[in-house]
Amino acid sequence: MSMEDYDYLFKIVLIGNAGVGKTCLVRRFTQGLFPPGQGATIGVDFMIKTVEIKGEKVKLQIWDTAGQERFRSITQSYYRSANALILTYDITCEDSFRCLPEWLREIEQYANNQVVTILVGNKIDLVEKREVLRQRAEDFAEAQSMLYLETSAKESDNVEKLFLNLACELIREAKQNKLDNNDTAPMPGEGKTISYLSCCSLN
Amino acid sequence: MAAEELPSEFDVVILGTGLVESVVAAACSRVGQRVLHLDRRSYYAANWASFTFNGLLTWIQQHHEESQSEEVQDRSSLLEEGEELIYLCNSDSASISNLQVFCYTRETHEEEEEEAPTPDPDPADTTEVETSADGDNGVKETSETVSADSKEKETKDEASDEKEEEQSQAPHTDGEEPETAQPQPPTAPSQSEPVRKKISYTHLVKEGRRFNIDLVSKLMFSRGSLVDLLIKSNVSRYAEFKNITRILTYRNGNTEQVPCSRADVFASRQLSVVEKRKLMRFLTSCVEETEEQQVYNGRPYLEFLRDQHLGDNLQHFLLHSIAMVTEDTPTEVGLTSTRHFLRSLGRYGNTPFLFPVYGLGEIPQCFCRMCAVFGGIYCLRHSVQCLLVDKNTNRCKGVIDSRGQRISCSHFVVEDGFVSAERKKVATPPRSISRAVLITDASILPSDSDQQVSMVTVPPIAAGSPSVTMVELCSATMTCAPGTYLVHLTCQSVGSAHEDLSPVVTRMFHTSESHDQDERPSVLWCLYFNMADGSAAQVEGHDLPSNVHMCSGPDGGLGHEHAITQAQSIFDKILPQEDFCPPAPNPEDIIYTEEETKKEGVEEEEEKETTKEGEEEEEEKTNEEEKETKKEKEEEEEETKPLKEEHKAIQPEELWRAEVLDLLTQLVLVQKEAAQHQAQVVQLLGMLGTQNSQQIQDLQNMGRHQSLLVENHQALLLQTSRIANHLHDITKKPAAASQ
Repeated sequence: MSMEDYDYLFKIVLIGNAGVGKTCLVRRFTQGLFPPGQGATIGVDFMIKTVEIKGEKVKLQIWDTAGQERFRSITQSYYRSANALILTYDITCEDSFRCLPEWLREIEQYANNQVVTILVGNKIDLVEKREVLRQRAEDFAEAQSMLYLETSAKESDNVEKLFLNLACELIREAKQNKLDNNDTAPMPGEGKTISYLSCCSLN
Repeated sequence: MAAEELPSEFDVVILGTGLVESVVAAACSRVGQRVLHLDRRSYYAANWASFTFNGLLTWIQQHHEESQSEEVQDRSSLLEEGEELIYLCNSDSASISNLQVFCYTRETHEEEEEEAPTPDPDPADTTEVETSADGDNGVKETSETVSADSKEKETKDEASDEKEEEQSQAPHTDGEEPETAQPQPPTAPSQSEPVRKKISYTHLVKEGRRFNIDLVSKLMFSRGSLVDLLIKSNVSRYAEFKNITRILTYRNGNTEQVPCSRADVFASRQLSVVEKRKLMRFLTSCVEETEEQQVYNGRPYLEFLRDQHLGDNLQHFLLHSIAMVTEDTPTEVGLTSTRHFLRSLGRYGNTPFLFPVYGLGEIPQCFCRMCAVFGGIYCLRHSVQCLLVDKNTNRCKGVIDSRGQRISCSHFVVEDGFVSAERKKVATPPRSISRAVLITDASILPSDSDQQVSMVTVPPIAAGSPSVTMVELCSATMTCAPGTYLVHLTCQSVGSAHEDLSPVVTRMFHTSESHDQDERPSVLWCLYFNMADGSAAQVEGHDLPSNVHMCSGPDGGLGHEHAITQAQSIFDKILPQEDFCPPAPNPEDIIYTEEETKKEGVEEEEEKETTKEGEEEEEEKTNEEEKETKKEKEEEEEETKPLKEEHKAIQPEELWRAEVLDLLTQLVLVQKEAAQHQAQVVQLLGMLGTQNSQQIQDLQNMGRHQSLLVENHQALLLQTSRIANHLHDITKKPAAASQ
């Protein structure tokens, strides 16, 4: 097995209403970019970033919805074998928050039981337009036993923290449950390793 | 969100998300066509779909209800000059018929009731119905009746009618009735077999989401067109696959394993040494076409097999399990299927088949994902009401969707269920497939591992009955809950699904809750239905505009050849110049190139994305060689295999053929050696022989010499005597003279 490339490989799947900034979060994290405009990313299946946490190389495979969420038509197979889900809503859009229970139902139906779910309120740079109060989202996340984080893909606020927290949590779970990490297909390749000295703590 | 309008212009509009439609969608989108992909249903994959247990119950219910006629809205107001409308039909009840459900397990079992109070995690509405019914009567009923209970009264009547009908025609369901009358004894679990844990209906519902029950039962030939397409297009990255671990056959009331690989043949206990040799020889010989085989063209394959002196055992295996044909299939067809089987053998495992983890319903979805990744727009619960046809050219200019929106397109691809019967050209009489789905509590042939995936061939159990293909899936395929098995039965319909398949089910499984010891697995729940055979629909000759392409539903064959061939031919008609599903770029490589370019300070993304593709494809090629060797090693270790890996590995020669050839060459070598030895012995013997004959000759010579000597001797003697006489005469004469 090509263990020389990484110690862990995790599949992270993004979900949430169209336009909440899922693609922006991924691109900010994997490429350090904030793509202006809504240019659909044609031909890109998932993005990859390898990070180092406490000396262990963690390869994150981050999958985007390919626009299928626009008309509520995400394929079930999209959720299969995901290790973590990032459920995203837009803090300036009440509607995207109100759709969350629907998304949770879908997760319950199709995703793996052991999946780690994190709720993300994006676009905190537009604080003056906020429609969903932080407290409300925190309460909701707690009730559903999800982690919660607010981010800005535009200002790069908390984006790295989001993915690193997830990676830490996944490693912890993997070690705890002795989860078979080879659930997802190993995809050996030449991932770029970026070392992070300070490790994350979950809040 | 739902109010968002669809764009009004596309290159290709596709209605229906079955396998053929989804492959066409992916292929068109991949080469840059703007694709709109719709389905009236709330789920993907149409009749190719897989459902959770609760999802399947809902599906059954929908098919019972789907008798009300939809009101067709008049859209003629949207017509422009020179246009006419073709209305589509938007109920697919026609393709599914004879639905029958049987439940052979109790609502609950004592031991399970303890864990029952935990809040029900199942989201489907049917769950609530089931649990409430449970509390009311506490007896077992067919799920059909239960689920219909809280719904419309109409359905209930229909369902219970059917139930009565079932009982009158099928004696095996008798087990149900006494059970209902009898109060549940608290000791029930201990009365039955102690080994097997009883699984209740409530448990099935509770674990419902662990099931992925396919409407179609097929397997993927390792070298079939679907596997090749998945690899070629890189769609394989969206799914994982498992090997079918063994091939079984039902014969003389027993389930036996069919020896497949060389190892199997040698390990097989039911074959004699002579049979093993014969089997190997036959399989080796039929890889290539011979004149001897051609003599049998048109004559039954069975006759050919008989004339090969193979014996009953081998004839059965070869006919039913390897060629998977019937007794009267012509020889050339039988040989073609045998070769197809042998070709797929050994590519990924011991049998020629693969099965997708989470069920076959994943496959169309994977192609849909590929379509979406390349910009295809997806919308379920959204249909097309009618087509806009240009009267002059008889071409479809666009469609009117179920919300009355006009959407223009240059091609329209449609699942055959949406095309009204009078416009379709179908085989007469209409063919259909009989299906049964069973949830059982044990494997049909228990072995060391409880995670076998088996293909079982069941030859006709009586004259005139169909031969049945059975697939038994274990929980490792993520299609059923742990502790259960999911069994699919399929055959070409002779009668209704129940008539065709229940005789096989009652023979091979235990279908009542009687408490006697029975080796056979118990059926907990089962469903029968008929589905229209997709291979009955013709490709050409429908009364439709030339740019409207009709896709057929699932066919009765074991593989996917029919669907993939059809998808490709439709694609070729739409885009004759384009490549069919070229490989999608590997995301790893995209990231790689992007980071490279970023370092150089290039920020314009759109340009990058177009150039990326070519670059990384080349790169892939260069890397491929080094990857190849690495990956081959990995392959052997993995159980669940992403197909991509194998693709890059050096594709091994068909192990079977290679192995047999290997063995044969070995044999030849040994024989050669033996022959050499014999030659030596003969030589030695010959040498001995020649030596002997020489001795004889010598002796003869000596004899001759001796006789010569004797003769000489005699001659000498004669002469000596003559001399003596002369001497005598001479001595006498002087004496006389002197006298």
